[in-house]
Amino acid sequence: MGEDLKKEARRQYLKYFRVWFVVIGILVLVNMGLWLYRTALDRVPRANREAPAERVYDYGDMLTVEQEEELRAYIARKEKRYKIDIVLVTMRQPVEGREAQEEYGYRSPYWEQNMQDLADDFWDEHRYGYNKGFEGDGALLLDNRYEGQRGEHLSTSGKVEYAFDVEDVNDVLDGVDRYYDTDPLKAYKAYVDGVCGKMGHSMMSPGSILLCLVSTLVATLVYAASHMSPRLAEDTTRVNTYVEGGKPELKHKSDNFVRKSLTKRHIETSSSGSSSSGRSGGGGGHHRSSSGASHGGGSRRH
Amino acid sequence: MIFKCKNCGGNVVYSPELHAMYCPYCEAKGSEERQEGSLGALTICPNCGGEVPVEAHTSATQCPYCDCHLIFNERVEGRYQPKRIIPFQMGKETCKKSIREKFKKCLFAPIDFLSEVRLDSMQGIYVPYWFFDYDTQCEFQGEGTKVKVWRSGNTEYTETSVYHIHRVLEIAFQKIPVDASIQMPDRVMDLMAPFDYGQLVEFAPEYMSGFYGEKYNMDAGEVEERARGRMRQDAERMLRESYGGYGTVRTLQQDIRVNRREANFCLLPIWHYLYTYKGQEYPFYVNGQTGKIVGTAPLSKGRVWAYAGTFGGCVMATLLLLLLLTCWL
Repeated sequence: MGEDLKKEARRQYLKYFRVWFVVIGILVLVNMGLWLYRTALDRVPRANREAPAERVYDYGDMLTVEQEEELRAYIARKEKRYKIDIVLVTMRQPVEGREAQEEYGYRSPYWEQNMQDLADDFWDEHRYGYNKGFEGDGALLLDNRYEGQRGEHLSTSGKVEYAFDVEDVNDVLDGVDRYYDTDPLKAYKAYVDGVCGKMGHSMMSPGSILLCLVSTLVATLVYAASHMSPRLAEDTTRVNTYVEGGKPELKHKSDNFVRKSLTKRHIETSSSGSSSSGRSGGGGGHHRSSSGASHGGGSRRH
Repeated sequence: MIFKCKNCGGNVVYSPELHAMYCPYCEAKGSEERQEGSLGALTICPNCGGEVPVEAHTSATQCPYCDCHLIFNERVEGRYQPKRIIPFQMGKETCKKSIREKFKKCLFAPIDFLSEVRLDSMQGIYVPYWFFDYDTQCEFQGEGTKVKVWRSGNTEYTETSVYHIHRVLEIAFQKIPVDASIQMPDRVMDLMAPFDYGQLVEFAPEYMSGFYGEKYNMDAGEVEERARGRMRQDAERMLRESYGGYGTVRTLQQDIRVNRREANFCLLPIWHYLYTYKGQEYPFYVNGQTGKIVGTAPLSKGRVWAYAGTFGGCVMATLLLLLLLTCWL
């Protein structure tokens, strides 16, 4: 009898969770398959042989030689993993106003337009792109430290361009801005991490794992509560359950007016205004560079 | 008394499904023949002569030796004769089915809680009830206010009108049930209601054959306060409903007068299932007419851990695997 009950309990348990077990099994298999696929893909060599090997162009002299080397190695590791080109260009050059336009041959006197053109053209002229030399996959950060016109522009291309929306571009630039004035190396690493983080699409972070834990806890509590025994019972009788005919007999009803009072109150009206705060930068709109290649990205001026 | 089959001599019982007397041995309907026991020998089974343990208020029981259903004349006749009875409308099998249906989601109940063996121990009992009738006159006088608010330009006006409210209702309460059994828990017996009084019939001992029963063991006077409480509560609510529509109401006078009162003794059908788990008793009561169930299932800690733990583990594993999936895409 005891053995039969245990067997029945086991049978019920397995039957009850069978869908869960199957779903988990499928997810394990899919993850394993994708892992194998990614491993095989990692062995595929870089296809673009036109671009130079250099990734860090420190014309603005923001980094020491050691820092440049450190950043190159850092970028190389990330490029291998995420299969995109990651380029950094720093400079100290005016990009705004008529004078600058005439001197450098920009197509407009505006800061944002010129930063965008410079970044896009640099990418196109050097034939960057992990998979190909035109519209290939990757991103370039142009950091201009010219006094009074400081700011950066992120230019995206290929799969990076299509993976990034305005918010993503802003997130990467926010990461850069965090160390922009204090530690340029950290700021550029933040750029590399920001781009790769978005490209990886990985949601596996301590925050998301914590969220999973909390969600699991809540779901388990709700599950446990919903499978507890129902309450003893509810009183299902109504107010007229024991009344003959279902309703009382109204023998007398009167509502006699006694008195009335009136009060009045003055209502204060208030006018409200709104203000808006501006912030420079952002944007991930697609556009074409002078060479005809498609780019995305956005700028942030300081 | 017992009811024996004219055809085979078996014990004839009342069948809720057939709504008739039925012999479970030869399957004959209406073949019952009343057989009286020996006078004054309450505890002797008229069928086998065995000594039957009978409690102080038992009016119908089953012989533990020959399984014959006995009804004790002294406890269903004279002052103990019920005026009316609602015969069982649900048989044991139907009752088991509704208990299984109600508690099927209780995963954490012990595995044998709904087992056939356990549920088979269920007993059908005719519980003694007093039905109270009251003819009442309810009067209410009070002051009610109606408030009207409107706005004109930058001024808001509030007009408050005061009325004198007067209501007189005549309410005839019928068959407010109060159990007359010391053994049955009052709160649970109150929750068994409502019963469909359309199925009340004149009492006949035949209805008790096949079930257990009790004579009343509390006088009408002892339990009447419960009926009066219910009557007052309902009357007050009906009075309140009669003067709805006012913003606020202040009571000046409220009076509930009982002009006529009557109490009748009746029997109502209830199935009782007693489940014992780890030394603790978990009683369940099922209205033998409507199927309403009162009772809470026990919790098996082992099953709580096994099911809630596995569920949590499955949710966590699925979420993590989905997160991991995003790493590869």
